[in-house]
Amino acid sequence: MELRLPPRVSPEDFQRASDAFAGVVGKDWVLVEDEDRDAYSDAYAPGPKEQWPPSGAVAPGSVEEVQALVRLANEHRIPLWPVSRGKNLGYGTAAPRLPGAMVLDLGRLNKVLDLDPKLAYAVVEPGVSFFDLFDHIAREKAPLWMSVPGNGWGSVLGNALEHGIGYTPYGLHARNLCGMELVTPTGDLVRTGMGAMDGNHAWHLFPFSFGPTWELAMTQSSLGVVTKAGLWLQPEPESSLELSWDIPKEEDIGWVIDTLAPMKISGLIEQNIFIPSWLGKVVLKGQRKDFWDKPGAIPEWRVQELLDQYKLGYWKVQIRLYGDKAVNEAKAAVIKAAMKRHLAAPPEEVWWHAGDSRSAVDTTMGVPSAIPLQMGDWIGGAGSHMGFSPVVPATSEHVLGQLKRSRKIIADHDIDFYASFTIGGRFANNINMLMFDRTQQAEVDNTKKLFDALIAETAKAGYGEYRTHLGWMDPVMATFDFNDHALRRMNEKVKDALDPNGIIAPGKQGVWPAAYRDLAGARA
Amino acid sequence: MNARLTIAPAALGCALLLAACNSDVGKGDTAAPPEGAKGAAGAAAAPPMGPPPYITRDQAPAGNRLAVARDPKAVFQHACGYCHLEAGMGTNLLVKQRIAAGAPPETALLANRDDLTADYVKQVVRQGKNAMPPQTRVDITDAELDEVAKWLAKGK
Repeated sequence: MELRLPPRVSPEDFQRASDAFAGVVGKDWVLVEDEDRDAYSDAYAPGPKEQWPPSGAVAPGSVEEVQALVRLANEHRIPLWPVSRGKNLGYGTAAPRLPGAMVLDLGRLNKVLDLDPKLAYAVVEPGVSFFDLFDHIAREKAPLWMSVPGNGWGSVLGNALEHGIGYTPYGLHARNLCGMELVTPTGDLVRTGMGAMDGNHAWHLFPFSFGPTWELAMTQSSLGVVTKAGLWLQPEPESSLELSWDIPKEEDIGWVIDTLAPMKISGLIEQNIFIPSWLGKVVLKGQRKDFWDKPGAIPEWRVQELLDQYKLGYWKVQIRLYGDKAVNEAKAAVIKAAMKRHLAAPPEEVWWHAGDSRSAVDTTMGVPSAIPLQMGDWIGGAGSHMGFSPVVPATSEHVLGQLKRSRKIIADHDIDFYASFTIGGRFANNINMLMFDRTQQAEVDNTKKLFDALIAETAKAGYGEYRTHLGWMDPVMATFDFNDHALRRMNEKVKDALDPNGIIAPGKQGVWPAAYRDLAGARA
Repeated sequence: MNARLTIAPAALGCALLLAACNSDVGKGDTAAPPEGAKGAAGAAAAPPMGPPPYITRDQAPAGNRLAVARDPKAVFQHACGYCHLEAGMGTNLLVKQRIAAGAPPETALLANRDDLTADYVKQVVRQGKNAMPPQTRVDITDAELDEVAKWLAKGK
């Protein structure tokens, strides 16, 4: 990809800035070749990757280097787009929202700084991947489990900062963050929570600051560059029991939610309950053409044939219990009785006991895997995906309403329906996977139109997205419209105060600094 | 890295179907015992059925990532092992491709291939291919990639 300069920066200015960055990190860590720009672009972009072009990337090797780079970026007016490992696949990968911004790749900061088996937490840098932390815990023989998302290739911190979710009792990843260190947009260094006191012993244990608490303000945020954070981990249970049901019909999701959500809210079920539709299992069995070789969505009759052939339900419910064996048995009895009121078939039951190995493909046991990314092969060609991810209350009324609405819109665009609901408490995250071949222009155009329609219709019905792709950050922010977009206006005031030159992640989540506000996309 | 890695038929089933299958996967010499595995050396003692175990990657070799002559196998395991060890995402997809190409399924493990050239490895790593996105020079430096490509190409 050819060089795309940041706004109002000349080629000479850019060269001077790159030289200055090289003075900090060394020339080998200033990555400004065409091939580098390709590697930091969105490999899964709906359309050409040139839509969200970086000017290059720079990779610091220490916190001091991050501070120095941020100061130089202010001096040279080079906007930076911080990424932890840059594997935010489906949401933009490593690519910046603002064309020509420089990726600040924190992948070299990849140390596990502390691991405390007794109080069950780690302190990690942003470049630590889920695999890295898992391997570290195994080597230390610490009796601790992680919570992992579908893509374990990515960063533990980056995923938590983006509000990623997993499928264990620690599945709300941003909630596991406790005590951060961050570089401010002007290059200062701040520690949050108890860590604001030099040498405080409770930095990664007590989740609040004296005064306003900043950890969550640093998530999906452009207010700082997080350089380390505490992360709470789950103590390894004595045993674990998985109960699995195939749920036959599409509309059964209503009673499933009304049965399980109260048990999640009461604490009887601790994990985030992941309920994928049938296609989630079939995408791993082959390519789409093996099951349906015509264009357009797979018709209902063929779906039913596939469910019969592979003995699948329309939905899969897998509940995992963690803890003492007797407690798990007692909980299982309550859950099975509740499910039996609606479904005669008993669940498949699989026990795990401390000392047993864990499956490489079971995210409910906190084992990282990249296997869910195999769905990229389903479509074939340059298979890509985007996630449409609204949040709904965890009741049948709201879940069925959302299902009906999104199914109709997706069917109207003649695309396969592949959705999941994850019960995280009083709410469910509804992730709709939209798969397409990014080399086929008609498919790309159709997917983009579909995405626009999903956002607009879902907002009209009273629901918003928890996360979105770069290309829709402005439209989604625009749906948060209470009191003339008061949240966005407050975000922008804070942004301008902390980042007067608008250097850190301009446009992130639809928040534009004054310096680049004229470049914002569609605004309400 | 002399012994040829094997993918047992049951493991091949794992790769294709991700269903419950024989856990006798990854007993080759690059496979560290999975965490908590009972007697990894005793394949015969492994339970007959079970899911594929997690393969712990080698640690990245210490030292300057821009310098040459670091252990390419360890770099490969650390940087490429997310997807390219036994039962990994890339291996699973390559099993299908290799079978379709009439090649033995164990050649889905890149370390088993004898037809890779260093230039081809470098091209795929930097430009991506199908489900594999391009890798940045932070993911794997040029010096690391040169060594890994030479190692996978076995002198070609």
